[in-house]
Amino acid sequence: MINDWFKTKKPHKLSPRPEGAADAPSPRKYDAVVVGAGPAGASAAYFMARDGLDVLLLERGPFPGAKTCGGAAIIAEQAHELFPNFWEEFRYERIVTRLDYWWLTEDSAVTAGFTSSRLSAAPYNRLSVKRKNLYTWLAAKAVAAGATLLLGHHAAEVNFDGSQAIGVRVSPPQNAAYLADIVILADGANSLLAERAGLIPPVTAANLSLYAKETIALPPETIEDRFGLPPGQGAAIGLIGYPTAGFNGTGSIHTFHDGINISAGMAVSDFAAGGFSPGDLLDRIKKHPRIQPLLDGGITTEYGAAMIPEGGYHAIPPLVHPGLLIAGDAASLVNGIQGINLAMWSGFYAAKAAYEAKKSRDFSARKLSLYRTLLDESFILQNMRSNAKAAALQRDRPYLFDLYSRLANETAYQIARAYPMPVKDKRKFIWRKVTSLQPVGRIAADIWQVLKVVKG
Amino acid sequence: MSKLAAKVALVEFRPDDGWQHVIIADPEKCRLCTEKNCLRVCPSGVFAWDNIHGHPVLVNYKQCVECGACRLACPAGAVEFTYPHGGYGVVFHQG
Repeated sequence: MINDWFKTKKPHKLSPRPEGAADAPSPRKYDAVVVGAGPAGASAAYFMARDGLDVLLLERGPFPGAKTCGGAAIIAEQAHELFPNFWEEFRYERIVTRLDYWWLTEDSAVTAGFTSSRLSAAPYNRLSVKRKNLYTWLAAKAVAAGATLLLGHHAAEVNFDGSQAIGVRVSPPQNAAYLADIVILADGANSLLAERAGLIPPVTAANLSLYAKETIALPPETIEDRFGLPPGQGAAIGLIGYPTAGFNGTGSIHTFHDGINISAGMAVSDFAAGGFSPGDLLDRIKKHPRIQPLLDGGITTEYGAAMIPEGGYHAIPPLVHPGLLIAGDAASLVNGIQGINLAMWSGFYAAKAAYEAKKSRDFSARKLSLYRTLLDESFILQNMRSNAKAAALQRDRPYLFDLYSRLANETAYQIARAYPMPVKDKRKFIWRKVTSLQPVGRIAADIWQVLKVVKG
Repeated sequence: MSKLAAKVALVEFRPDDGWQHVIIADPEKCRLCTEKNCLRVCPSGVFAWDNIHGHPVLVNYKQCVECGACRLACPAGAVEFTYPHGGYGVVFHQG
């Protein structure tokens, strides 16, 4: 022990080890290898490289963002904390100043929305983004900080020495192995790497949701006209009820600069039970009488689908292993409509833990558990804990989204209608209508359960 | 062209002619399968029932968008899904 005293005396700014030392025929060893150049992986790589670690960032796509889709908004203030004034550095689409929720039935919509020019000033509330632009910028930042980015490299396997992760094996065409003291898995929702290595329990069809998206090109002025937006500002609309054909799921509309991203999805197990594909859902939504006019004349430029972990807090697998951390979607860190931000922050915390481990030359799970501690104390896991019961609620009450969208629409319709009858009778009539959809006792029970979840 | 085929035609793919990343290892499981979720759940229509040839389910892996839902939806665990080799497969541009 005493012979190692000097190790703790090393300066804290860590410099990459010298390359090609004469007595080192073994392949170069990195301080950290990060799998996946998404928001989690690229953030982790950036912060580690900035702190002086020698970082390798592997991405299987030809560019960051090539392998995922789904129309997205980033919560600017949370990202601003990590990357000050980041909106000046990459091309976002629009500043979101209109937030809506629409509860839909076949022919009608009850809507709740908020729009304010207060949301249009920096630091912005939300910015709609194309994943490719955001991820490519973030990965370039990691490279500028000193990380090595290899595109078109698919990490197929984690290599272990006993239970200690020591690097990854990359599939053909490279067929290479990379050594590192720390492996960070940020390989997305369907983390086959972590699953194959037995680090996490197999993901299930109930915990993963499948979303399909279409990007529909429209001139910027048309978008601003139809959504009632000043130039450069955008809308994000959550769609509930009709879009997912009676199942609990959601759709969304995001406005881009010169296009609209519309997506819809729900749990894979619900698709299996429902007997239709996510593409079918999109086709239905696009024909909805309230949505069709928004898209009219637009040309679909891209179709796609991706999975999102929606199991919530209780589905988070063990994230810390000897020499290995799991971040972002691979760690199931998605909370309602928040994913990109949680990914970036989890990458940041993973980088902090990796730095501390490197500093003390201790890559055990115990040392790396700082990652879990930082997550636990952060808004990420606190928010996820607050919503912990939401996933179970949706499972136990699969009718929730659809039924209450119907109920709201039926009530609103009857209130909007004028009948040749006294108001008192009309009120009774509406009451009978509503309670014929769901008995009063059951409504009360549903409200009670929802309140329990909201209360956390 | 079917509706789905028209959509899939909009997506850029860089197919790997030399290696198939999603396979059905045991076709016998498909013959016995009553649910056949793969035929409907797949968002890009990779799986097709084939009555002519010996193999009951055709896997058009070159039009796979790599979501991975097939593996989870298959009740028999017959679908073996992994990601394509580096540089191959789907390329999304529009977010």
